[in-house]
Amino acid sequence: MTKKDNIIKWILTIIMLLIGICCIAPFIFMLSSSFKVSGDVMKFPWHLIPESPTIKNFTSLFTNGIYNFQKWYMNTIVMTALTILIKIFFVSYTAYGFAKINFKGKDVIFLVLLSAMMIPSDIMILPRYIIFKNLHILDSMWALILPSCVDVYFVFLLRQSFISIPDSISEAAKIDGCSHMQIYQRVILPLAKPAVATMALFSFTWSWNDYTGPYLYISTMDKQMLSVGIKLFSSGLTQDYGAQMASATIVLIPIMVAFLFCQRFFIEGVTSSGVKG
Amino acid sequence: MKQQNTPKRKGKTSLAQKKENRAGALFIAPYLIFFTVFTGIPFLMAIAMAFGNVTYITKLDNLKFVGLKNFITVFTNEEILASLGRTFLYSLVYVPLIMVLGFAFAFILNKDVFCKNGIRSMIFMPYVSNMVAIAIVFKVLLGNGSPIIQGLQNMGFEPPLLLQSLKWALPTTAAIAVWKSLGLNMVVYLGALQDVPSELVEAAQIDGATKWQRIRHVIIPMVSPTTFFLLISSITGSFQNFTIIQALTEGGPGQATTVMSINIVRTAFTKYQTSVASAMALVMFAVVMIVTLIQWRGQKKWVNY
Repeated sequence: MTKKDNIIKWILTIIMLLIGICCIAPFIFMLSSSFKVSGDVMKFPWHLIPESPTIKNFTSLFTNGIYNFQKWYMNTIVMTALTILIKIFFVSYTAYGFAKINFKGKDVIFLVLLSAMMIPSDIMILPRYIIFKNLHILDSMWALILPSCVDVYFVFLLRQSFISIPDSISEAAKIDGCSHMQIYQRVILPLAKPAVATMALFSFTWSWNDYTGPYLYISTMDKQMLSVGIKLFSSGLTQDYGAQMASATIVLIPIMVAFLFCQRFFIEGVTSSGVKG
Repeated sequence: MKQQNTPKRKGKTSLAQKKENRAGALFIAPYLIFFTVFTGIPFLMAIAMAFGNVTYITKLDNLKFVGLKNFITVFTNEEILASLGRTFLYSLVYVPLIMVLGFAFAFILNKDVFCKNGIRSMIFMPYVSNMVAIAIVFKVLLGNGSPIIQGLQNMGFEPPLLLQSLKWALPTTAAIAVWKSLGLNMVVYLGALQDVPSELVEAAQIDGATKWQRIRHVIIPMVSPTTFFLLISSITGSFQNFTIIQALTEGGPGQATTVMSINIVRTAFTKYQTSVASAMALVMFAVVMIVTLIQWRGQKKWVNY
């Protein structure tokens, strides 16, 4: 490597690092401001480290008596956990059917499912409202959980990763007298752990961050989710910047922690999965 | 769909095949039932409602066929047409920005850069974050009296309040959307760039191709299937911007950011014109389909498999 190449490498690194810092700057501002007294948030010049750090912004979220953050937090956790659990089993079970069983009409059915991926979700908003109402799951978290479990995208991705597991392995299990159910549970599912982990993480972020679903289908305040909750909270307290930043922080923290610890599954999951067209 | 998954029992089918058919039905039937209820039926209902006269969403008893009346409303109502125009404007900012930046950042990161994974994660981070939480932060950052605005004012500039200005609100929401989703596009491009065989690039270099020529004639054609995939998904994604706009501006100031997705929800849930809203959604669907079909037919010219 010549000296000139090395200089270019340094310049590019600095440029990209600056871009990266710009990308996370809003998070830094949020985190720093959430520990500031409200009057200090808008102060110029801006300080990264709060001059008089306080956790009052956070405690007031959970003790204010008007906005029920505990409830919203619990709802979101339960809803997200149920979604992930149901989705993992439901989607992988279906994906096994499409990947490892040779039944009639398989390709046609799969093609129909794939073409449904093209339907924009906006078109489903109204009819789903009516269906939820008739199934009596409107205004409950099941209206958010059940539709997200029929995600075609993940059936497609898991099917890809199941197909890449050599047939000889499942054939051997079959000769040993295993049924499809046993092969799915004991052979395929354990071997496809990374793909399942990627799916679980993406489901986590999508369910946790979902705003449209709870906004449209949940009306009772006590059944509401965090996304809608903090929106209400921040439009109610337009001047209390510290509290607004704290409310944004408590929503982002679980996602950020998951991302920092499981980046491999997030990023490599995207690069190695079937999204390359 | 249902009939196809119950195996037809013809005399010739072997016992093993019958067994496979039954197992297959067992494995996919639950999914198909849920899929029919939450995707299949809603899709058909959306089409039916667009040709009917549903007003209040829960009253479907005296549904009447009214032909193209709702579509005529969509194409003659100035407010709806304006929101359609705003959706296109939003896409016009969003799609080129995210495509070019996604490729450029991936290209640079794929070269030798120090602390590659760290930078990659920094750019990817907004993708996993919660839009509503982020919107709260951006509203403060771009709002009156924020440290950024004060800093610029001290330097003698007069920065506009981007999210509150009639002129800037729409491009700003699109730019924030780019910031949020850029990481995904970049990571997908990174995967594609890693698959470009280095011998090919080196061969071009030996043949005397300049750096720019190598990018233009070797690398871009090699990743064209990825470009094709990302282009379609970015265009589709740019139409589905309800969360981003609702969180940032709720369609305001005035009507400045009232795009189709916002207008559809408003028409259905506050104006109770359910059928008109369905027709609007169907028009959006048609636009997505047409754009995708044009891409699909055009891909032969520039996509190399």
